[in-house]
Amino acid sequence: MAELHGTGAPSSNGHRRRGSLERLRAELPVAAMSATGALAVRLQELTGRDVIDIESLQEIVALGYRAAEVRSAHRGGRYEVDDFGFDPEFTNAVLPVFRLLYKRYWRVETTGIEVVPRSGGALLVSNHAGVLPFDGAMIEVAVHDHVDRFARALIANWFGGLPMLSWFLRRTGQTLGHPDDSLRLLKRGELVLVFPEGVRGTGKPFSERYRLRRFGRGGFVQVALRSGVPIIPISVVGSEEIYPMIGDAGVIARLVGMPYFAITPTWPWLGPLGLVPLPSKWRIQFHDMVRTDDIGAEAADDPAEVMRISDQVRDTIQAGLVSGLAERRGIFRG
Amino acid sequence: MTARRVLITGVSRFWGGQLALRLEAERSVERIIAVDTQSPAVDLKRTEFLRADIRHGLIGKVLSAASIDTVVHAGLIVDPRRAPARVVHETNVIGTMNLLAACSAGDSPVRKLVVKSSTAIYGASPEDPSLWSEHMRRSAAAGDAFTRDLDEVEDYVSDFRVRKPEAVVTLLRFANVLGPEHDTPFARLFDLPAVPTVFGFDPRLQFLHVDDAVAVLERAVVDEKHGTFNVAGSGIVLLSQAIAMLGKLDLPVLPFAGSDLAMSLLNRVLPLGFPPHLTRLLQYGRVVDTSLLAQAFPGLIAHSTAETVDAHARERRVRDIADAQRRRVRHEAEMEEFLRGGATKTAAANGHRPRRSAGTKAKKTASRTPRRPVRRRGDG
Repeated sequence: MAELHGTGAPSSNGHRRRGSLERLRAELPVAAMSATGALAVRLQELTGRDVIDIESLQEIVALGYRAAEVRSAHRGGRYEVDDFGFDPEFTNAVLPVFRLLYKRYWRVETTGIEVVPRSGGALLVSNHAGVLPFDGAMIEVAVHDHVDRFARALIANWFGGLPMLSWFLRRTGQTLGHPDDSLRLLKRGELVLVFPEGVRGTGKPFSERYRLRRFGRGGFVQVALRSGVPIIPISVVGSEEIYPMIGDAGVIARLVGMPYFAITPTWPWLGPLGLVPLPSKWRIQFHDMVRTDDIGAEAADDPAEVMRISDQVRDTIQAGLVSGLAERRGIFRG
Repeated sequence: MTARRVLITGVSRFWGGQLALRLEAERSVERIIAVDTQSPAVDLKRTEFLRADIRHGLIGKVLSAASIDTVVHAGLIVDPRRAPARVVHETNVIGTMNLLAACSAGDSPVRKLVVKSSTAIYGASPEDPSLWSEHMRRSAAAGDAFTRDLDEVEDYVSDFRVRKPEAVVTLLRFANVLGPEHDTPFARLFDLPAVPTVFGFDPRLQFLHVDDAVAVLERAVVDEKHGTFNVAGSGIVLLSQAIAMLGKLDLPVLPFAGSDLAMSLLNRVLPLGFPPHLTRLLQYGRVVDTSLLAQAFPGLIAHSTAETVDAHARERRVRDIADAQRRRVRHEAEMEEFLRGGATKTAAANGHRPRRSAGTKAKKTASRTPRRPVRRRGDG
C-alpha cells in the first residue's frame, strides 16, 4: 500500500497519512516483540519450562526487521546484484528462516568446517538427497555462520524454468549447473557448492538412502583442475529422511517435465501439508580438502586422472556417510 | 591506412544516421557514402546519400566505383514495429547476403567489414549459462523469425571471413539499447504506467546506453579490431529493479506458461510491438560477458547497465519539455532555411554539393532534412 502512495501524486494529505503509517510500521514489531517476550516469561512461570523459545523468537523478529530494511532499501531499485543475480542483502534477510531450520528443526551438527578457506575459491562437493534441495541450504547456513562467506550452489537446469523458485534461487546466489558458470565463479574466488549426483541423488528411493549414485562424468573435477582450487568433500547425514520417497510417479513427472515426481507417505495425499519435511537429526561433516593446484590444469583433459580424483572424493564422502550413520542412534534423536 | 572510404547501410534509421554524423567529424575518414531506400533522418553534411537497396546487384559496382575500403552494415531491423515481417526478413537476410556477396567478390576493394548484430542471437531459455561469451552458441533452434534471421546474418558474416581471410571483420553484438529519443520495444514497455512482467520470474537484464553504442560503432570503424564482441553496459539489473528505478508499477500478469501468447494479445491492445524473442527475455533474462570488448576498446563503455536505466528514467521524467524544445529548434531551422531562399531544397542548403561517382547508374539524391519532424528512429 505504501508503494502505491509513493508513486501517486504527492498531495500534502497523502504525505501525512504515509508518515503515520510508516511510524506504525516501525513501532509494530517492537510492540509485538515485547508482548511476546512478556507472554514467554508468563508461560514459563506458569508451566515451569520454555514454551516459547526466546532465541528462536529473536531470529523471527530479526527476519521481520531485515525484510522491512531490505524492502525500504530496495525501493527505487538502488541496490547491487552481481552478474549471476545474487543479492547479498536479500539473502541476509531470508537467512534467519533457514538458520531456524538449521538450529531448531534439524539440529544440524557440523564438524570439520575449519577446512573451508576464509578467502579464495574452493569447490564444495556433497552428497545429494531429500527430493527438495534443503541439503544445499543447510550447507550454506553452516558456511555462512562459521566462515562468514556465501557458498554458491549449482542447481539442476530444470529449476531455472520454475516460477518463483528459480527467482528465489538466483537471488540467493545459486546458479545453473553450467560448466562455464562454475569456472567463472571459481575464478572470481567464490565458494562453489556442487552435487555431482544431481537429480539422480535427490530422486532416489528411500530404500537406497545413503548409497551414493554415480558422480556424473567427473565434470566437477575438471572445473577444479582448470581453476586450480581445492575440492572439499562433504557428507550430509539426515537429509535422506526428510522426505522418504516411497514411489516415483514417472507419468506425472514426464507430463510436467520434471526429472521425477516423488511420492512420500504424506505427499501428495495431504496436499501442501505433505511438503512439510520430517524433523530428522542432521550431521554435516566437512572432510580434508583435496588439493588440485599441484596437479596442473592440463590434467583436466586426462580422463584417467579426472576419474581417479572423482573416485577419491566419492569414497571420502561415502566413508563419511557410513561413519555418520554408525554414530547415529535414531533418525530423529540423532 | 591513412584515408578511408566508408559505406554505411541503413542510414535512414537510427544507427546508420548517428554513425554517419560521428564519422563526418572524423578527419581520417575521407569519404562517406550512405545507402538506404529512404532518406536519412538526421542532417548530414559531407555524407553522400545514395538511394539504393542493398538487395540490388548494383551495390557491388558502387563499392568498386567509389573504391570503398570499409563497409559498415548497420542496417539490420531489430524493432519489428519498423516494418512488416516480410520486409524485415528481406532486409536483414537477403540484404546482408547480397551486400556481403558484393564485398567478398574478387575485385571488391573492401578490406574491412563492421556488422551490427544483436545479443538476441544467444536466445533466452532456462538452460542458458549465466554469462554468454562470444564463442558460445545457444543449444535450442531459433524459436522465432527474428532470431532465425540473425543466425543467417551471422552465418553470412562467417562465410565472408572464410572467403576473405585478409579482411578485418568486426562483429558487434549489441545488448538492448536505452537512450533519449531512441524508440525501442523496451522503452515502450517502460513507458507504460504499470509494466507487465511474467509471474514468478525476475530476469537479469543488460542495457546499453545509446551514446556508448554509437561510440563503439565509431571506434570499430576507425580502429582495426578483428573479432566478435558483446556490447553491453557493465553489470546487470533485475527487471523488478529497473521498474523500481523508473518509478513504475510491477504488474506480474503474464503467465509463465504461454507468456508469448499473452504478450501477443497485449501487443494487439497496446501499441507495444514487443516481439516474441524479447518476451522470452522478459521471462528468462540474458547476460553477456563484455570482457573482450573491454580489452579491445578500453574505457569506451561509459555507462553501466544500472546507470543506463537511471539515465533513461531521468530523461523520461522531463520528456514532454525536452520534446517541445526539440520541436522548436527544428522549426527554427526550417524557418532559417526558408529565409535563406530554401525554395531549392537540395543539398546546397546543407552547404555541400553532391558529388557524382562515375559509373553509378543508381538514382542518387543529396541528403536533406525531412520535411516533417520525425523522431530519430532506431532499433535494438
